[in-house]
Amino acid sequence: MIAVLNTSLTCKWAKQIGDTSWALLPVANRPLIDYWLETCTGMGIRSVHILLGEGAKEVEDYVRSGDRWNVVVEYVFSRSNETAVDYLKSISNYWKNGLLYFGGPFFMRRRQGFRPDGFKKLQTCCHKFGDVPYFIYGKNGEELSVLIGDCIERNRGLEEIHINPYVMGSIGDYFELNMKMVRAEFSRYVTAGFSGGDGSSLGYNVRTPPSSHLQAPILVGDDCRFGAMTTIGPNAVVANHVIIDAFSELTDCLILDDTYIGRNLEIRNKIVAGNRVIDPSDGTTIEITDSWLIAHNRQDMRTGDVVRYLILWCVALAIALVQVIPFCLLLPLIRISGTARFRKKQYHDPNTGNISLPVFIKQTDRKSVVYRVFRALSLDRFPRILLVLRGRMFLCGQPPMRHPEDDEIIKQLSHYYPGVFCYQDYNSDSDRLVDSLWYAHIRSLYEDLKILVKALVSRFLSAGRKTTMDEK
Amino acid sequence: MLVNCSKIDGVGVVVVSAALTAATVDVFREELSSWQAAEPDVKNYVINLESVDFMDSAGLGTLIAVLKRISERGGDMKIANLQKKPRMVFEITRAYKVFEIYESVEDAIRGFD
Repeated sequence: MIAVLNTSLTCKWAKQIGDTSWALLPVANRPLIDYWLETCTGMGIRSVHILLGEGAKEVEDYVRSGDRWNVVVEYVFSRSNETAVDYLKSISNYWKNGLLYFGGPFFMRRRQGFRPDGFKKLQTCCHKFGDVPYFIYGKNGEELSVLIGDCIERNRGLEEIHINPYVMGSIGDYFELNMKMVRAEFSRYVTAGFSGGDGSSLGYNVRTPPSSHLQAPILVGDDCRFGAMTTIGPNAVVANHVIIDAFSELTDCLILDDTYIGRNLEIRNKIVAGNRVIDPSDGTTIEITDSWLIAHNRQDMRTGDVVRYLILWCVALAIALVQVIPFCLLLPLIRISGTARFRKKQYHDPNTGNISLPVFIKQTDRKSVVYRVFRALSLDRFPRILLVLRGRMFLCGQPPMRHPEDDEIIKQLSHYYPGVFCYQDYNSDSDRLVDSLWYAHIRSLYEDLKILVKALVSRFLSAGRKTTMDEK
Repeated sequence: MLVNCSKIDGVGVVVVSAALTAATVDVFREELSSWQAAEPDVKNYVINLESVDFMDSAGLGTLIAVLKRISERGGDMKIANLQKKPRMVFEITRAYKVFEIYESVEDAIRGFD
């Protein structure tokens, strides 16, 4: 039997909470995908396919090899023109002995009558939300073929083993699920670091001064700090690494990871994620810019990012120093011959929206040795390398996207790293959207250096014959 | 013009036309003060926040300062047409306990009776 966990479906409401993939959104302080993987372990499934889409990197960083759940994970990138059913059909050989499929923000709520061995009694079933299947289970390949082939809905399967299939179709559903958990249900899923036996669960390393008042039922994650005279609960879900300053009151609320709640605030019926406050009743979101009120308490940049940035900045400086003399010598010759010239074009910028980038454009079709040497030495990228030194671009990354021509591509990219060198420099068949998504997924120092070396070598060997799309 | 002030039934009605943030509070304060100086007989005020779709702590602090100044002169200040997003700021900072908030300017004016 294999399991397929589909995290590639889009979930609009999850974007209100932040950049975290919906599969990693916490339910009772545990990521949703954690429950799915735990179910795989409970069913004795070893082989797990995870379909990746937006937020792929975070999902992969969290699950890794699957060791923690005693499963072997295989990652597959979802294709935009392929549905989950298409994918399942394409791997039909793998599920001859059974399949467990999860897709979309779906949670299996255990009723009181649920027993872990109940899964053994589960019959072939398919639960759908609209036209999209979010749970498929079967032990028999032939039955599954009929079920998947005809896309038949059989909705009683989970209910028969005392599981309520709960689909989170809105941010209100997500909030409500967390509230249901804290009010009564979390003990069916969560083992507390400390439990008062009164419906409270505290994780590890939670510091509470004597004057703070914790009122059950509450659910508190790990590494939290509560200030003096705070009142937390009832019905408060506080995730990991949360700091709540003095005199604040939190009831009926969901505070997500790495959040700082300032002094003397009152959080009721709200979701707080970093500096975002969301009203789950209608999804209204405000971003608080005053860091003394509500803030994200952990820097997004990790040590690895800083090291990569510093190393690539030094590499860019070295390239610029090597290029500066040939650039100053050859540019006047090219200008005099009128072969090519730099022109400014508008591109998207991740920080400011737009940026003017110099593009080296050939003016005439006649052959020119100087032009070829200029491009072979990548001197046409020299002005952009200077922008790298100023922190306006990345040395290696995704191809800069034109404004407004590439607006559609930008909308599909959750992470945009415009680079001087990219896959397009050595692979003429490169699809900009696919490669940009791929780059965002596997971005690393090694990948950047690989792109840099291949681009410089390829441009040198082609001696300026190849022209990228921007430069035509 | 960030604020547009008028007098209705002896109550100063202050219509704020943009977000109240650190970038705009100085203009708000100045324009309101100059109108107050020109209309010394007006003691009670209604701040109409119909067009204010966002407010930060500086905006909130300014409203509290204005309320304090008006109270010192023996008047009162009420807020009307508070929009959803600023309302959330009011809720989390407990500012709703400080201000009287009404659904419309008319209701707020009647509130002085």
